[in-house]
Amino acid sequence: MPETMLCGVTLKNPVIAASGTFGFGAEYGRLFDVSKLGAICTKGLTLHPREGNPGMRVWETPAGMMNSIGLQNPGIPAFLEHELPRMRTMGTAIIANVGGGDLEEYVEGVRLLSEAESIDIIELNISCPNVHEGGMAFGIKANVAAGVVAAVRRVCRKPLMVKLSPNAENIADMAVACERAGADAVSLVNAFNALAIDIHARKPVFDNVTAGLSGPAIKPIALRMVWEAAHAVRIPVVGIGGITTWQDAVEFLMAGATAVQVGTATFVKPTAMLDIVDGLERYCAAEPLTRL
Amino acid sequence: MTSPSPAYIEEALVLAQDRLTNDVYRLTVEATTGGSPGQFYMVRAWDREPLLARPISIHDADEGTISLLYQVRGRGTELLARLHKGDTVALMGPLGNGFTMENLHGRVGIVTGGIGIAPMFYLASTLPARSATVIAGFKSTPYAVAALLSLGVEVYVATEDGCEGTRGFCTDIFDPAAFDVVVTCGPTPMMARVAQLCAQAGVPCQASLEAHMACGIGACLGCTFPTTSGYKRVCADGPVFDAAEVIWHA
Ligand SMILES: Cc1cc2nc3c(=O)[nH]c(=O)nc-3n(C[C@H](O)[C@H](O)[C@H](O)COP(=O)(O)OP(=O)(O)OC[C@H]3O[C@@H](n4cnc5c(N)ncnc54)[C@H](O)[C@@H]3O)c2cc1C
Ligand SMILES: Cc1cc2nc3c(=O)[nH]c(=O)nc-3n(C[C@H](O)[C@H](O)[C@H](O)COP(=O)(O)O)c2cc1C
Ligand code: FES
Repeated sequence: MPETMLCGVTLKNPVIAASGTFGFGAEYGRLFDVSKLGAICTKGLTLHPREGNPGMRVWETPAGMMNSIGLQNPGIPAFLEHELPRMRTMGTAIIANVGGGDLEEYVEGVRLLSEAESIDIIELNISCPNVHEGGMAFGIKANVAAGVVAAVRRVCRKPLMVKLSPNAENIADMAVACERAGADAVSLVNAFNALAIDIHARKPVFDNVTAGLSGPAIKPIALRMVWEAAHAVRIPVVGIGGITTWQDAVEFLMAGATAVQVGTATFVKPTAMLDIVDGLERYCAAEPLTRL
Repeated sequence: MTSPSPAYIEEALVLAQDRLTNDVYRLTVEATTGGSPGQFYMVRAWDREPLLARPISIHDADEGTISLLYQVRGRGTELLARLHKGDTVALMGPLGNGFTMENLHGRVGIVTGGIGIAPMFYLASTLPARSATVIAGFKSTPYAVAALLSLGVEVYVATEDGCEGTRGFCTDIFDPAAFDVVVTCGPTPMMARVAQLCAQAGVPCQASLEAHMACGIGACLGCTFPTTSGYKRVCADGPVFDAAEVIWHA
């Protein structure tokens, strides 16, 4: 696969490790050469460290999995000091994924990350619950999301990619709202809000009741959403959701994505992304990639 | 501590599959990746479903083979049980920290519940002869005991239905005062009880914890357990923890 330009940054290929599924790159770096990836998205970062959620955190479902990690992370200052120097040596682009509980935390987090030279792109995760709005995620209502994006845009000196929630009221409207508020790209989708019940314990599996569904089960819905977003905006769209094989990746690229992110598939097969890169290379050598 | 890097083996050859009881099997595969006692592998022997690989401890290993002792619980272990000699499995490992061998001296008490006995053959065969005593609890028919006896290890058995050994739980016949150090693996409530008995007796205890896992390698933070120094990843910071640091009833 040829190099890919994503909001001014040259990626070796369009295959990116999705946030929260690849840590800060070091763990899988013990298993394979991560410099072969187009980029790595960091685990979701917040200004202040977060402990994460109690109770069950991952649960397998048919063709998918649910997670309720609760954004466990060391906080942005500790990330910049301890993790980023190591990530910089990995030989691939670095996308810092950032979350927050309120507007101030997002803005201050992005401001700090903007100052770090080795970060290529900032990915704004708007699926986080808003502590001032009864926990409703920033990414549900287009006007709320646009408010965060505009505020962050003012302090962000890196390309800004906004990661959309599939739980948005209307995904095309959401993408347009983010574009107008100053996003350089949108990535979608994050995990779907879902529920599992332990029938023996007679209670929800997760302490937080609901959790995020990812993996092959969400792929057709994610693909439809990427298609809708790509037809609504002019900025690049990065496709995410259940991508497991190179054929899946081709589908997202045909639907209008500039690049793809792979998450859950790495748990199924740790080298899945390398297989996708190889498959895309062979496909593109044999026939041109058409955008539908 | 820097342990050797894990490997991903897409097709490890199955050399043998032995059925030990109604639902407990021993799978022996060809692999040179070994590991130390208490480490585990992520195992997968099917195409698309189920989605995730399953964590299974090293039951025994040498230069060319790894064996796994497992109990059929659900879909994944059921599919493992269908493997025959000549089939292949995907393995990722060795993973996790394993037991802290340098702290296991003197009289080592090994307390297990059910399939928690799986990692103990490899552990006992690595310890000096006659230093280990195993206290093993089972619901019903015991397994893996004969192999331990063949190592010259003393084994005391408790069964819940009384079909062999003492009727009751392994914790009923376990006295920490008889040991310098204790190692435990089994259901969490059982390990919590062992940890409590050890703490009361002032005997150090290493516990091998269980948690549902996705990545198995430390990247997803899905397998955490609460400890006195925050949430720790069972797959990468464990599975073996100092029992005194574990918050058992969070
Ligand atoms: C570090 C570690 C070492 C282990 N070593 C052994 C071993 O040597 N022998 C053995 O028989 N079992 C072992 N287990 C438990 C084994 O992983 C589970 O029994 C197995 O994953 C069940 O899968 P299943 O598809 O049969 O069951 P299902 O219930 O259908 O599995 C559904 C999901 O839940 C997970 N899950 C279910 N039960 C457990 C459990 N007890 N622990 C972790 N995940 C679970 C599965 O991995 C899967 O993701 C170990 C677990 C851990 C964490
Ligand atoms: C265990 C786990 C943790 C995740 N953590 C984050 C996170 O911190 N920030 C984020 O933006 N997305 C996070 N995600 C969402 C993924 O990045 C991705 O959007 C989603 O899983 C869909 O892609 P997939 O089906 O390829 O996994 C997480 C997903 C999983 C499975
Ligand atoms: S299973 Fe992913 S961190 Fe342990």
